[in-house]
Amino acid sequence: MSIASKTPLTAGTTRLISLSNVMPWAFAALFLLCLPFVFQSSSALTIMNQMAITIVFALSYNMLLGQGGMLSFGHAVYMGLGGFFAMHAMNMVEDGLWLPLPFLPIVGGLFGMVFAFLIGSFSTRRAGTVFAMISLGVGELIAACSVIIVVFFGGEEGISGDRTMGPPVFGYEFLTQQEVYYLTVVWLLVAALLMYLFSRTPIGRIANAVRDNEERAEFLGYSQRNVRWISFCASGFFAGVAGSLFAINFEILTEENLNLATSGSILLITFIGGAGFFVGPIIGAVVFTLLQTVLGLHTELWALYLGILFVACVMFFPSGFAGLIAMHRRPLALGKLNLLIKPYLKVAIPAITSVLSLAAILEILFHKRHGYGGDHEMHLYGIAFDSGGYQAVAFATIIAAISLFLVSRVLPEIREAWDNANHAEDRA
Amino acid sequence: MALFLVNVLDGFVTGLLLFMLCSGLTLIFSMMGVLNFAHASFYMLGAYFAYQISLVTGFWVGLLVAPLIVGLIGALIERYGLRRVHKYGHVPELIFTFGLALLIEETIQFFWGKSQLPFSEPAALDFAAFAIAGNAFPAYKVFMIAVAMGIFLTLLYILTKTRIGMTIQAALSYPETVQNLGHNVPLVFMCVFGVGTAMAGLAGVIAGPVLGVFPGMALQLGSIVFVTIVIGGLGSLWGALVASLIIGWLQTFATAYDVTAEQVLTAIGFTKPELIWDHPLQDLWTLTLPQLGPILPYLLMIIVLVLRPQGLMGNRES
Amino acid sequence: MSAPAIELRNLEKSFGLAKIIQGVNLQIAKGERHAVIGPNGAGKSTLFNLITGRFAPTSGGVFLHGEDVTGLKPFEINRRGLSRSFQITNIFPNMTVFENIRCGLLWTMGYRYSFWHMIGRQLDVTEKADGILARINLSSRRNELAGTLAYAEQRALEIGITIAGGADIILLDEPCAGMSHSETDLIVDLIRNVTEDKTLLIVEHDMGVIFDLADKISVLVYGEVIESDTPDVVRASAKVKEAYLGASLEEEAV
Repeated sequence: MSIASKTPLTAGTTRLISLSNVMPWAFAALFLLCLPFVFQSSSALTIMNQMAITIVFALSYNMLLGQGGMLSFGHAVYMGLGGFFAMHAMNMVEDGLWLPLPFLPIVGGLFGMVFAFLIGSFSTRRAGTVFAMISLGVGELIAACSVIIVVFFGGEEGISGDRTMGPPVFGYEFLTQQEVYYLTVVWLLVAALLMYLFSRTPIGRIANAVRDNEERAEFLGYSQRNVRWISFCASGFFAGVAGSLFAINFEILTEENLNLATSGSILLITFIGGAGFFVGPIIGAVVFTLLQTVLGLHTELWALYLGILFVACVMFFPSGFAGLIAMHRRPLALGKLNLLIKPYLKVAIPAITSVLSLAAILEILFHKRHGYGGDHEMHLYGIAFDSGGYQAVAFATIIAAISLFLVSRVLPEIREAWDNANHAEDRA
Repeated sequence: MALFLVNVLDGFVTGLLLFMLCSGLTLIFSMMGVLNFAHASFYMLGAYFAYQISLVTGFWVGLLVAPLIVGLIGALIERYGLRRVHKYGHVPELIFTFGLALLIEETIQFFWGKSQLPFSEPAALDFAAFAIAGNAFPAYKVFMIAVAMGIFLTLLYILTKTRIGMTIQAALSYPETVQNLGHNVPLVFMCVFGVGTAMAGLAGVIAGPVLGVFPGMALQLGSIVFVTIVIGGLGSLWGALVASLIIGWLQTFATAYDVTAEQVLTAIGFTKPELIWDHPLQDLWTLTLPQLGPILPYLLMIIVLVLRPQGLMGNRES
Repeated sequence: MSAPAIELRNLEKSFGLAKIIQGVNLQIAKGERHAVIGPNGAGKSTLFNLITGRFAPTSGGVFLHGEDVTGLKPFEINRRGLSRSFQITNIFPNMTVFENIRCGLLWTMGYRYSFWHMIGRQLDVTEKADGILARINLSSRRNELAGTLAYAEQRALEIGITIAGGADIILLDEPCAGMSHSETDLIVDLIRNVTEDKTLLIVEHDMGVIFDLADKISVLVYGEVIESDTPDVVRASAKVKEAYLGASLEEEAV
C-alpha cells in the first residue's frame, strides 16, 4: 500500500483477486469492526467517527496533492458543499423523499463532483502555484458566499438536520452512535478502496505521470489539463462523501466546513502523514485527530505544537510519517532491522525528555504571561509548582539542555547503525 | 460628489496599502519563484513589533525599527528554512511558507494573546487634514498615502535607475536568467526575501492603527493579496499596482454605497414577493452592495482567469 | 505519390524581435531517415518545438501526412502519430522504468483516460512494455526508479518512451548528447533498430552518427535551410562548408 509508483503493479497476476492484495483490507475491516468493543464511550466513538471522516477527506485531498501534484488551498469547498447538499437531502427525506441514510453520501459525493467539474474547468489548466492560488480564491469566495446566501447555507448558524427521519435500513434507524459508527466505517472502507483502485487505473497512473512531468505527458498524447480535471472531479466526489458523513455524524454544517482553516488543516494532515504514500493521509488523519482531541484537552498550545511539527516536517522529513516508516523497508529487506533497535532505544529516553522539557518551557512561559489574575500555580505532567519566578523555567531549561546533549551524543551511533543497516555486503 | 471624492481617496489608501504588500510578494515571486504564503504574516509581525516598540519609544521609532526587524527575520527564515526546502521544488516551498504562516500566527498568540491590541496613530497625526463638504479626512491617511507613494517611487527609482534594479528587472522578465547573472545568487535571494518581508512589515506598521492589530489580521488580508497578484498577473509589478487599486476602490465603493438588490430589481420591473422570508429567492432580494464587497475581489479573479488566464498584465502563464 | 510524412511550408518563428526560424520549407517522405544539422543557435531545437506543437509558429504551416497541424497542442499532434524525444532528458523520474514505458503506451493502446481498467491486469500493456524494455536493453532495470538510472540508461529510456506508442513519425533531439563513443554506438544501433519502417527526423551534433544514419540531411543556419539532400551531396556542398565553417569560426571566436 505504499506509493503506487514505487512498487511494480504487474506481478503478472491473472487471477482477479490475489490474497496479498486482499489481506490488508480484510485486516483493516476487521480492526475497524472490533474497535467499538474496545472503546465504548460515546466520546471515543465521536473521536473515531471524526477520524474516519478525516481519513476519507484526507485521502481525497491526496488524490490531488500526492497523486496529481495539485496543491489546493480550498479543498474544504467540495467537502463542505457535498455536506450542505447532503444535509438538504436529509431534510427533504424528512418531508417525504425516499432516500435511506446509507445512500446519502452518494448524493453529497455527486454534488461535490459537480462543483469540482465546474471549478476544475478553469482551475486545472495549470498545476503548481497558479492552481494553488485559484483554489485559495475559489475557497474564499465560496466561504464568503455562505454568509450571504442564507437560504442555502443558513448564514452564521449554518443548517442542521435529523438523520433518523429516513426509512429504517434492516431495522436500523441510526439513533445510536454505534450504528452511525458502522455506517461511517463501511463508507470509509468503500471510499478508501475505490480511491486505492483509482490510483491503479490508467488515468490514475497518468495522473502520476503528469505530476512528475506534465510536459512529457503531453507528448505522449495526454492533455495535462484533462488528466488533472478528471482527478479533480474524482477527488471532489470523495470529498463530498466525507462531507455527507460529516452531515450524518454531527447533523450540523456551518461556514467552518468551507473555510480556509479547514482547507489548510487537510493540507497539513496529508503532508504530515506523507503525501507520497497511499497510507500517508490515513496516518496523518489519525495523528491529527488524536493531537486535536487528546492534546487539545490538556494544553491551549496544541496548535503551536502542530505548527512546529508541520514546519519541521516540511524541512526535515518532507515525505511525512509514512516516509519515515518506508525508509525502513530496505533494512527490513536486508534483514538488518535489528541493528537499529538498540540505538533507537538508546535515543528514545533523552529524545522524549527533551521534547517534553522544551514543551514545558513553552507552557511555563505561556502560563507566566497569560495566567489568570496573577495566579501562578501551575500543573504540568502531574507536578504542581509556581510558575511565577524563574526557577521553573530554569529547571526545565537545564533538563532540556542535558537531554538534548545526550541526544547529540547518541546521534553518531544512530547514523553509523543506519549506514550499516542499509549496506548490503553480499551484493556483488 | 463630495462623498465620491472621499471614497476615491479612501479606496486609494486601501489600494496603495495592498500594493505595498503585493510589490514585495511580486518581487520575491519573480526573483525566487516562491509564492510567499506567509507574506501577510510578516505584515502582521510588523504591526505587532511596532506596537511593542511604541510602548517604550513611541510610534516613530517603531515605524523605523519594526520593518527592519521583520526584514531581518525574513532573511533568516530564507537562509535557514526556505533554502533548505528549495531543492524539493516550488510546491514544497509554498507548503513551507504556508506552515510558516500558521506558525507565525500561533507564535503571535503565544506572546500577545488573542485579543486586539490598542495600537493607535501617533498624536502628531491625530487631526483632520482637510474636509470635503463636511467629511473630515484624517491626517493619518494622508501620511499613509505619502509613505506608500514614497515606497512606490523609491522602488521605481531603484528598478529603473540603478544597477541592482536592472538586474532585478532582467530577472523579472526572464526568471531563468537569474542564475546566469554571475551574482551571488543565494545572497541575492536572501536580500530579496529580506527586503520583500520588510516592506510587508512596513505596511503592517502603518496599517495597524487603522485596520487593527489582532491575530487574524494576516488572514484577513492574506487571501486578498494573493488574489490581487493573480488578477494583476503573477510576476508583474505594474499588474500588481493596477489590480491593487482596482480592488481598493471596488471594496471601498461597495461598502460606501448601500445599494440593495431590491432597489435594482424593482427598478428593472420585478415586483417583490410579499412573503419574502420564506421565498427561495429571499437572498437575491435582500442582498446589498456592502454585503457583496468582500467577495468582489474573488469574483473578479474568476472572471479574469476565465477570460485572460495570465492575468491583467501578466505575460507568462506559469 | 502520397503526401510527405512531414511538410513545413514557409515556417517562421520570432521571439520578440529575434527571428529564429525564417521561412523554412521542408518535405520529409514517409520512411525516410532525415537529419537536421547546423551550428549552435541555428534554430534546430526551435524547429522541433514548432513541429511538435510546443511553440506555435509566427507564420507558415506544419503538415503531417498532408494534414494541417499548425497550432495544435502537443498531445493533439502526438495523437496523429508523431512522437519526440528531448535534448535534456525528459522522463518521469519518480516512476519505475517499466511504468515510464507503460505511460508511453497507454494512449495509443486505447486506455486513454480510463478509470474502469485495472492497469495491472491488462496483460497486453504489460507484455508490450516488457517487449520494449527488452529492445532498449533495460529489462534488468525494470523496477527501478527512472530517476536513479545512469545517464546513458536514461537516454535509452527517453527513446523507449518516445517509440513506445508506436508513432510512425519519430523526432529525436540530440539522442547522443553527452555520451561516450561506445555508448553512442549502442544508441545508434538502438535508433536504427527501433525506427525500422518509420519516418525519422533527428537533430544531432555528432557527424559520425548523422552520416551513418541519415538518408537525407538538411543544413539549418540562422533559421534557414541552406541545403537539403543526400549525405554525399551535403558533404560535398561548398555552400554548406562555407556556412558551417564560418559559423564554427564565429563560435570559436566567442
